[in-house]
Amino acid sequence: MKISKKIIDNLKKGGVDFYLSVPCKLLANMIDILENDKDVYYSAVPREEEGMGICAGAYLGNKFPCIMMQNTGIGNSVNAIVSLLQLYQMPVVFLISYRGTPGEPVGAQGGMAKITEDILQTLRIPMLYCSSEKELDKISTFSKHAKVVESPVAILCDFNLMKDDK
Amino acid sequence: MNRFDLLNKVQNILKDNLVICNIGLPSQELYKISDQPNFFYMLGSMGLSSSIGLGLAISQNKHVISIDGDGSVLMNMNTLATIGNRAPSNYTLLIIDNGSYGSTGDQRTFTDEKTSLKDVALGAGCKNVIECSGEETVNELNKAIDDKDNSYVIISKINSGNVKIDPIPLNPITIRDRFRKFIGKVKYL
Repeated sequence: MKISKKIIDNLKKGGVDFYLSVPCKLLANMIDILENDKDVYYSAVPREEEGMGICAGAYLGNKFPCIMMQNTGIGNSVNAIVSLLQLYQMPVVFLISYRGTPGEPVGAQGGMAKITEDILQTLRIPMLYCSSEKELDKISTFSKHAKVVESPVAILCDFNLMKDDK
Repeated sequence: MNRFDLLNKVQNILKDNLVICNIGLPSQELYKISDQPNFFYMLGSMGLSSSIGLGLAISQNKHVISIDGDGSVLMNMNTLATIGNRAPSNYTLLIIDNGSYGSTGDQRTFTDEKTSLKDVALGAGCKNVIECSGEETVNELNKAIDDKDNSYVIISKINSGNVKIDPIPLNPITIRDRFRKFIGKVKYL
């Protein structure tokens, strides 16, 4: 819970006030925190691509949105990222549970893990890779950066960082 | 009645609301009929007009009308579940259902075969789902906006067919900024 709380605290400190998630077991604690937080909007959403659209609308309505998802969700969302968020230069934070990184027990997650950073690089999306608690302190500044450069940004939380966050 | 006729009929209602308009010919036809700063033309991301409008309606109080098509809703059908569970009362989804992919040459969609978007929307949890003719759409849209307690999904059944038209010449950032300025959220413009 300590790691999840720190991530949400830093996102809020960075100004993020609108949250969506497509669940992941590594995001479960963050979802619990957000469901009980009266200061921000939170909802589940069935598919990441749809979530990109909802985030775009929230930005137009002057919210600062974040979508929480597995890295597999990036694969579901490439056109929405390029033809909506980047076309209109909309700041959105992607908080990504980085499945398939070392410690991952499910072999099938390895495929998307191998190409996740390549996809983000190809899309020219700034990345913050978090593998230790100390790195979480960078999240608030990194989130604000999305607004400054009017671009989606991606925070990658790897498996080992999240797995023991009881 | 085709889409262009319908958009002509509802343009006066649209002018008084925030509008998210679907990709391709719907946006191009609306732009030709009446360009307004409170119209957000979605130039890419087919399927997401309903979702953008939903995020906008949740985030501020003005009434939002998402204009979508049958082909686009079929592409992002989970949107109906999210709308059924989360749409606030300042949200109306207007699905212009002409049974065809108008922007790509009028190929038939599944709503021209067995699929009923009304049944899908009801099953997805949307409570106020109206299927009506093009002629009835003005009246239904007004009722939806006047009801301050409920969101609506209106499925307007019309004929396929398009008018010859040019792409929208506006820069995406222009569309974005004048829209946000209209809402009153952009201080620097």
